[in-house]
Parts: sequence; structure tokens; C-alpha cells
Amino acid sequence: MPEGPNLLKVPKDCMSKRPPILQLKSLTKSFGTFNAVDGIDLDIAEGEFFTIVGPSGSGKTTLIRMLAGMEQASSGDIILSGTRINDLPANKRPTCMVFQSLALFPHRTVGENIEFPLKIKGIDPAQRKVRALALLDQLRLPPNYYGKSVLRCSGGERQRVALARALAFDPKILFFDEPLSAIDYKLRKTLEKELKDIHRETGKTFVYITHSLEEAMVMSDRIGVMRAGNLVQVGTPNEIYSSPKDKFVSEFMGDVNVIPVSMNGSRTITADTFDKTFTVATIPQAFSKGHLVIRPEFVRFVTEAKEAENVLEGKLYNEYALGSRIQYQVRVGENVFIVEKLRQHSSTLRRDQTVLIGWDAKDSILVTG
Amino acid sequence: MTDRGRRALIWAWTLAVLVFLYLPALCILLASLTASRYFLFPIQKWGLDWWRKTFESLEIRQLFANSITIAFCVMVVAVVIAFFGALAFARYNWKGRTVFQKIVLLPIFFPQSVLGLALLLWFNAIGIQTSWMTAIFAHLVWIIPVVTLVISIQVYSFDPALEEAAFDLGASRWQVFREVTLPVLLPGIVSGAFFAFLLSWGNFPLSLFTTGADATIPKYLYAKMVAGYTPGVPVLGTVSTFGAALLLLGGYWLVTLRRRAQS
Repeated sequence: MPEGPNLLKVPKDCMSKRPPILQLKSLTKSFGTFNAVDGIDLDIAEGEFFTIVGPSGSGKTTLIRMLAGMEQASSGDIILSGTRINDLPANKRPTCMVFQSLALFPHRTVGENIEFPLKIKGIDPAQRKVRALALLDQLRLPPNYYGKSVLRCSGGERQRVALARALAFDPKILFFDEPLSAIDYKLRKTLEKELKDIHRETGKTFVYITHSLEEAMVMSDRIGVMRAGNLVQVGTPNEIYSSPKDKFVSEFMGDVNVIPVSMNGSRTITADTFDKTFTVATIPQAFSKGHLVIRPEFVRFVTEAKEAENVLEGKLYNEYALGSRIQYQVRVGENVFIVEKLRQHSSTLRRDQTVLIGWDAKDSILVTG
Repeated sequence: MTDRGRRALIWAWTLAVLVFLYLPALCILLASLTASRYFLFPIQKWGLDWWRKTFESLEIRQLFANSITIAFCVMVVAVVIAFFGALAFARYNWKGRTVFQKIVLLPIFFPQSVLGLALLLWFNAIGIQTSWMTAIFAHLVWIIPVVTLVISIQVYSFDPALEEAAFDLGASRWQVFREVTLPVLLPGIVSGAFFAFLLSWGNFPLSLFTTGADATIPKYLYAKMVAGYTPGVPVLGTVSTFGAALLLLGGYWLVTLRRRAQS
């Protein structure tokens, strides 16, 4: 018997469409005639791990400093839980930042650093200590670090202390200004995962900036790629990885094959620098000129032209071992292609050997720009 | 050259430098330990008489009082002004900062006797009677730039993000200053205070012109050297020099103690 819509049967997925905790509306920061941040619109959901990625000079630091209240916006709105906070100074905003230099107070112990925001709030020393010890525990630091000087902590420990101090403030949003950039590779990889775990444990909203898309991919729920004061693309790591919006985003991801192409009259895509017509899955509307992007792991060595939808003949120039994968440089005329495959016990490939490389239409992306 | 030879040479050189630096001060001590009225080397007859006479003298006590008062006042005023000067010098980026930096440092290189004379003329021109109080002002003209420079060295190594972090964690401007800026810069402020006190304590050219009828220890020493030398002069010189050294060592000891207590 048909009835009205059953509200109890709303699929669970709709619940994940949480209301935005932070909304940016045409947010702009100008220095003279130069717009460091050029009219950004963005919604960040409550509990989200959002990362802004961009090269240096893209305006990401200016953006996060505006959000944290350390830089005054020139125009536009910053709306936190429905309230415009543009004019609130940093010390009145319920947000907190972990700085690139970490900014741990050098004249204080680990415990005093963590307790600092609690002391400012006027919480009594006994309660402060209980909270600080709980945070030490949460951040996998031994309790005897409470009385240790921050100057005697290692790089990774200092990261944890800085994060503990920010969490002690109990902010609605935590901002991170490239805190891992000065840490060596191996430890950085560990801390990235740890930070994601802490994000899950605390359920807080994290807004992180970095110049490393790789770092962003590991941790984030969503990524915003920034260039010249604008957000070029916003999406999940998977969206950014598999369907970059343009050449800039695709190249930001690391080694990638980018072929300048044009469309000729008969709706076929041809390379600009050599004679080849490509089969592609979809052609964007009004496409005339752009780039064909193929990730190196989607390019494979083939033995016959019919084994892949697009095949090129080239010479193997060099190979590079990347741990679990091996990367090959193949030269097709003057053009360099990168092929990646999982490491195998035996390889029959030799330098200067003539090889066929190929990929399927579904694995390539056609981007304008 | 062998490794041994090289090491011997380094030791010999170091020793020569030490002798060159500290032997004169030691000679002053020796000269004060004579029983004779005149300056004769080598000393014929040793004695502590001049030490007793010097400390019994009311005039000398007054000299100490003057020198200490001036040095103390100079220290307090110089540290306060130079601290904020150093923040302007090294912490904040503002229009005219490079000009400020040059103007502030220039008085350090003025010949002090000329500066003293200039100040004396100026005090006369505006009708101020020179005394130990005008000497404080004169010392400040030369010492504030030095202390500004000393504190600036500490300020240059100060990470401005520390203040931002404290502010971001909810602290007011005043709390940021009291809880972060001041304590982090404290070592620089303490060394600035030592510089101020000791430079004022030992200053002769500025005091000569600007103390008027009052006298400080360096001024008195000079007067006595010119006319009326007694072994009381090296006694006073020894006390003055070793007093300064003790003050410095004591300060160093306190800082070390504090550092040890922290870690």
C-alpha cells in the first residue's frame, strides 16, 4: 500500500553529507595590485580532513593564515558554523594552528607547552596536568616526557607535542601549515599515517596545507589543488588522481605521460609532435587542443599491436628501480614516455632494445589546458 | 710540522694571549700590596696598609656610592629603553627600519670625549647644573645603543611564530608578552643589563665631563694619577676590576644554575 515518503528509510549515505563547518565565499587577499588569494569559494564539512596543495607562491600559506586569523582578508567571507568571523582576531577564534616551525615555547617543558592553552583559559594546575598526561598518552608519548625540556625532544616528538598543545586548546578546526616539511622521508611517512589516525580518533576537522600531493593523498578526505591564488580542482584523492582537470594538476601528481594533442575534423585525437592518432574514451565538449594524460602504471609493454588500444614503438633508454616498482624510460622518436610496472624476479628488457608500449582508451584522460 | 709541535705552538700562543690580557690587571694588584708611599717596582716591602686606609676613607665610600648609583640607574633605564629598541631593531619590519638601525648604532662610534664635551656644552646651554644625575643621562646616550645591539642579537634568533602561536592559543597581547616574548628574550635582557652596568661602572670620558662636582671611581683614579698618586690608586683599581669580574662570574654562575635546574 503506497504511503508518504518514509523518512526513517533515508539511506545512510545521505548522512555523510554533513553541513559545512567552514565556508569561504569569494575570499581574497591582495597585496597592492597582486591577489595572493583570488576569490576562493569552498565548503569544508565538519570532521573532514581537507588538504590544500600547491607549489610555493600559490597562496596556500596566505589562505590558511587568513582562516586562522593571522592575516586580514581583503574581501569575501570566512564563515565558521554559520557566523562570519572575518573580524575576529586569532585569539578569539575557536581554531588553532600547528605551525611549520611548530613554535614550541623553548623555555618551557613538554607539559607546560601542552598546558599553555589551558593555563590561558584559567584551568587549575591539577586539572591541567590530568589533561596533559591524557594527551601525551593519546599521542604515543611516555608520561615521563611531561617534565622534559622541549629542546631535548627529537623531531618526531616535537611534532607530537605541537599537536598535543593544539588539541589541548580543543579547537573546532585544526590548521596545519606544512608541519612535516622539515622531517626526513621515513619519519614523515610514519607521522602522516599517525596524523590520519589522530584525525579519526578525535573526529575534529583538519585543514592541512602542503606542497606535496603525495602527502595530501595519504591523509586527506578531500584535496584542493591551488595555483596562483585559485583552487584549480577540488576532489577526493581518487578523483584528483584518476581525473585531473588539467595538465597542471596531472603533472603535480608526479611522473606522468603528457602528450600535446589536437582534435582534427573527424573527431579523432592526434599528437602534435609526432604522427599518431589515439583512441580515447571520452572527448570533452568543445575540445580542440589540449593534452592526453596517461599514468605510467597504465602503460605496459606489449608484444603485438593488437594487445592494446593505443600502441607506440620506441627504444628502451633507461630503467630506474623504485622499490616495489620499476620505471622505464622509453623514447619514441624525440618523445619520452614513462612506463612503470611491478618488480619481477626476472626481466628480459635490455637498454636500446626496440619495444612496443601500449595503453587502453579508458586509462587515458584528455584535458584542456 | 708534527702534531705534537702544532699543539705546543697553539698552547704557547694561547698562553701569550692570556699573559698579555691579564698581566696588567695582576700588576695593579701587586702595586696595591706595597707598604711604601711611592710606586716602586719591584716591590721592596709588602703590606696591606693601603687597603685598610682606602676602605676607611669616607671620600672613597662616597665614590663607590656614586659609581654604583649611576651604574644601577643606567642599567635600569637602558635595559627598558633598549629592549623595546631591540624589538624595533630586529623583530618588526617597518618603514624606516634600516635608517633607524644606522642612527641608533652611530653614537657607539662617536669619540666619547667629544660626546662628553658636547653633552657638557649642551647642559650648560640649557642651564642644568652637572652632577651624578647628568652623568646618568650622558652614559645612557652611549650605553643604550650598545645594549640595543646586545639585546637585538637575541631578538634576531626569536621565532615570531612563537608569539603567533601563543596568540592563536587564546592569549591576549599582554599574556603573549609576559608568557612568551619576555621569558624567551630574557637571556638577552640579562646580558644587556650586565653590559649596561659594567660599561657605566668603568666609564671615564663621559663621567669626566658630565659629573660636575661629583666624582666616580674612574674619574678619581685619573685625578689621582695626574696629581697625588698613592698606592690607594691601585687598591681602588683592583677593587674596581675584580669587582666587575666577580659580578660577571656570579651572573654566569646563576645562569648556569638556572639552566641546570631546567633540564
